[in-house]
Amino acid sequence: MTRESDKQPGGYGPPGDAPRLIGQGSVWIMVAAPTIWALHFVASYTFAATWCAKAGPSLAEPRWIIAMMGVICVALIGWLALLAVRRYGGVFVIFEEITESSERARDRFIGHVSLLLCILSAVAIVFTALPGFFFSTC
Amino acid sequence: MEELFWVLLIGAAVLWTAVIGAAVYAQKRQVDPSLERQARWFIIWGGAVIPTLLVGGLLAWGMVILRDITSDTGDLTVRVDGERWWWRVTYEGPEGDVVTANEIRIPVGQTALFRLTADDVIHSFWVPALGGKMDMIPGRETTLALTPQEVGNWGGLCAEFCGGAHALMRFDAIVMEPGDFEAWLAAEAAPAQVSEDDPGFAVFQEEGCGACHAVRGTDAAGPVGPDLTHVAAREKLGAGVYEMTPQNMALWITETHEMKPDIDMPPYPDLDGARLDALVAFLMSLDHAE
Ligand code: HEC
Ligand SMILES: [Cu+2]
Repeated sequence: MTRESDKQPGGYGPPGDAPRLIGQGSVWIMVAAPTIWALHFVASYTFAATWCAKAGPSLAEPRWIIAMMGVICVALIGWLALLAVRRYGGVFVIFEEITESSERARDRFIGHVSLLLCILSAVAIVFTALPGFFFSTC
Repeated sequence: MEELFWVLLIGAAVLWTAVIGAAVYAQKRQVDPSLERQARWFIIWGGAVIPTLLVGGLLAWGMVILRDITSDTGDLTVRVDGERWWWRVTYEGPEGDVVTANEIRIPVGQTALFRLTADDVIHSFWVPALGGKMDMIPGRETTLALTPQEVGNWGGLCAEFCGGAHALMRFDAIVMEPGDFEAWLAAEAAPAQVSEDDPGFAVFQEEGCGACHAVRGTDAAGPVGPDLTHVAAREKLGAGVYEMTPQNMALWITETHEMKPDIDMPPYPDLDGARLDALVAFLMSLDHAE
């Protein structure tokens, strides 16, 4: 199986091509998933608090919005996980240590870390949204 | 609630044994490089996947329990307002509100929904034996649903420091047979039987007690302190603190701040002799009609 990361050993694309924000060599993918979780967290709580203060004691309708936010964020993270695998060659479990100093090894490391962070963030988002399903009142 | 305790205890015991067992096993065993892959999978399942699922499951279960005790339906609704340092209690009875204080009575096997508020500072409503504890917050209403399983007197208290007499802010939480409860609520709803020429009631009026205390059936309607309509029917005096006896009642009036420091009721050290006796007799007569 060839991966995108195999095709361009050490390269950042053709000269003149702007480096991708999320592509080989760029570390932004590592912070992306936790950032989505953080934004989701702040957004959920702000939204629920505002709703409770303004609209009153039932959470029955906003829980759908909370659920939608959760689904969108988890989907975004799923897409990032896909990129971590495709562009960086990240794997879930590393069986032999990555010690080699090369672009390829660095990418694989970033891919691996990002993938794990994606999983962690997705679980965290589910935990954040969970109370919305159990409580229908403020 | 008790079930939860056992599940957590046994679950913790099993997990503890497994973890310590694995540690001892790892100590004893020779290093075997060929098992490295297996070991990694073991770490991933045992260290990440299973704990995540377990914590997720416990979280969900905990929320189901929390939902039940914070639900907003019940067979009976009781409003409790936390005051410094006593409890204003209002039963939403079949024939309208019944106001009383410092004692909670609920029928066994039924869900009582408590709607909790606070007057000026935060208190916390807690009956340890019945489970659940809920803060009472000024300007907000919190709810707590309790379903007692056993008849008895289960003490309750304020569980959030609220100032000087916080430690003396208690109450009796009495669980009764449903029939007894109905009878009690009906008696509590009835106005006090006070005769016009009761000398104790005259003292009560002269001393201005009625400015703070209400005695339904008379023109004493003060909203500041506990409702005294059936004060002598309570098991305890002064928010669950003293036995309801004439001696304690007399001390409560003359040495108020020795009995309960800081409270908003002034002491009446000059009351004595026949006037004090009459007042105490009047208060002790504020019982349920037989
Ligand atoms: C300034 C208002 C005020 C006045 C006047 C006042 N009280 Fe009180 N009284 C209170 C408050 C407040 C409490 C609750 C104190 C606490 O437990 O924190 C109380 C509690 C009591 C209790 C205990 C109630 C219970 O549920 O155990 C009795 C009995 C009582 N007062 C009788 C009297 C009598 C009799 C007089 C007149 C001689 C009087 N009070 C005058 C404010 C007042
Ligand atoms: Cu308190």
